[in-house]
Amino acid sequence: MLQVRSLNVSYSALQVLWDINIDIQKGEIVTLVGSNGAGKTTLVSSILGFTKASSGNILFKGKEIQGEPPYDIVREGLSLVPEKRELFSRMTVLENLTLGAYFRKDESSTDEIFHLFPALKEAKDRNAGLLSGGQQQMLAIARCLMSKPEMIILDEPSLGLSPKFVHNVLEAVKSLNDEGLTILLVEQNVRRALEISDRGYVLENGQIVKSGSAEMFLEDDAIKEAYLGI
Amino acid sequence: MEGIITIISQVVFWGLYAGCIYILLATGLNLIFGVMKIVNFAHGEFLMLGTYITFSFFVLSGFNPYVLLCASLPILVVVGIITERLCFRPILGTGKLNEIFVSLGIIYVFQNVVAMLWTDEWKTIQSPYKDITISWGSVQVPLDYFIIIGITICILIGLYLFLHRTSLGRAIRATSQNRKGAMLMGINVEQMDMLTFGIGAGLAGAAGTLWAVSGQVFNPYMGSIPAIKGFAIIIIGGLGSIAGAIVGGLIIGLAENFTSFTLGGAWKDAVSFIILIIVLIVKPTGLFGGKDE
Repeated sequence: MLQVRSLNVSYSALQVLWDINIDIQKGEIVTLVGSNGAGKTTLVSSILGFTKASSGNILFKGKEIQGEPPYDIVREGLSLVPEKRELFSRMTVLENLTLGAYFRKDESSTDEIFHLFPALKEAKDRNAGLLSGGQQQMLAIARCLMSKPEMIILDEPSLGLSPKFVHNVLEAVKSLNDEGLTILLVEQNVRRALEISDRGYVLENGQIVKSGSAEMFLEDDAIKEAYLGI
Repeated sequence: MEGIITIISQVVFWGLYAGCIYILLATGLNLIFGVMKIVNFAHGEFLMLGTYITFSFFVLSGFNPYVLLCASLPILVVVGIITERLCFRPILGTGKLNEIFVSLGIIYVFQNVVAMLWTDEWKTIQSPYKDITISWGSVQVPLDYFIIIGITICILIGLYLFLHRTSLGRAIRATSQNRKGAMLMGINVEQMDMLTFGIGAGLAGAAGTLWAVSGQVFNPYMGSIPAIKGFAIIIIGGLGSIAGAIVGGLIIGLAENFTSFTLGGAWKDAVSFIILIIVLIVKPTGLFGGKDE
């Protein structure tokens, strides 16, 4: 579904990503593991078109999307829940969700979303900026789903959330995947993320240094030591 | 005593009417600033162009000049869209200094083109209702003031409904609040820039018609002072706040007219900036800063 081929990205003179190759199949859930500053967020923002790559290809459903503006990539069916959530904080929850379905001609229903995230239904008339961190994360995911994407990238969905919310968010991610959504998960909470994933990639200093099945990652001593804190 | 109340009421109406033109200018500036984060110094030129379009259609057709709002507003929307596409889009994000110089350049282009087409003599037109006044006890208010205040209220309500009740309006507000978030919703933010700039210019064009209809004189260089006051108003009201632009416009309109009545006309333009300085000292974010949109 998503293929990244020999991607190089630089911020002016400083190269941050070297020769990245990633392959994600339809229906998979894949975790991208990496420490702070490894280039995870840069990779995500390059895939979505926010950061221009210096060379390489990004194919979504076999079509080249490298160089397209983010709003066209989103319309192709690849969406992102960004690390900073980027909600419309002075609009209500309902307005945020309505905007999620902005480019869909058929009126996308909020009923399904409220069924998935009941807490948002209770808060639907409150301004997004007044929600708790956990609710904001749910709203960010819900808003993203309103456009009925085929694949979503979740950048640090559990960042700043209490352990209970982390559990809820990852449960929701798992159930979305069960319904057929392809997911790339960028997580610091590596163990929990790998437990729900099919495969993983390790990004270190701007390069993919390891890839394999999630089980293999959970057994791997080097990964355990570096990212699982065992 | 009766006399003083009469005079004060008349000054209030004059202030409200003057405030309407400022509100339309400042609202447009604020919309453009909110979405594109640029300060359009050439905004007064759209007002000026609005007065000349009204003037030309009035001379050619003899229509009631209020009807000519239907010409000045849409024409300025188109002029605004073209200006954004040709002048601001290529330099967006390249630095504030570029934006400032481009908008300063636009001022001279517009002024000279208008001077070439219509000469730079002062011009004026007359409202068909100019001799009609409405009496309210001893207070005499020209009918035109009521019409202008009414039209401004209608335009602002229309703008509010567009921004809050339509999908396109919501997309503009979304772009204004969070550009990255808007892109993730599939909103073509460059189109929103163009549209917002067009709406802002259209509001200035409507202000131009009202300016001309009220019998005020205009020439190709008349746009600067109202534009500077427009800036003062959005700073007083709070950057990006439309409610602030409305309140700020009324404050300036009323203050100017009370000042010219009590201290003399020479103080009229100075008082806006005295208020601006006071607001900046007391509440640097403006009266409505950081709350509304």
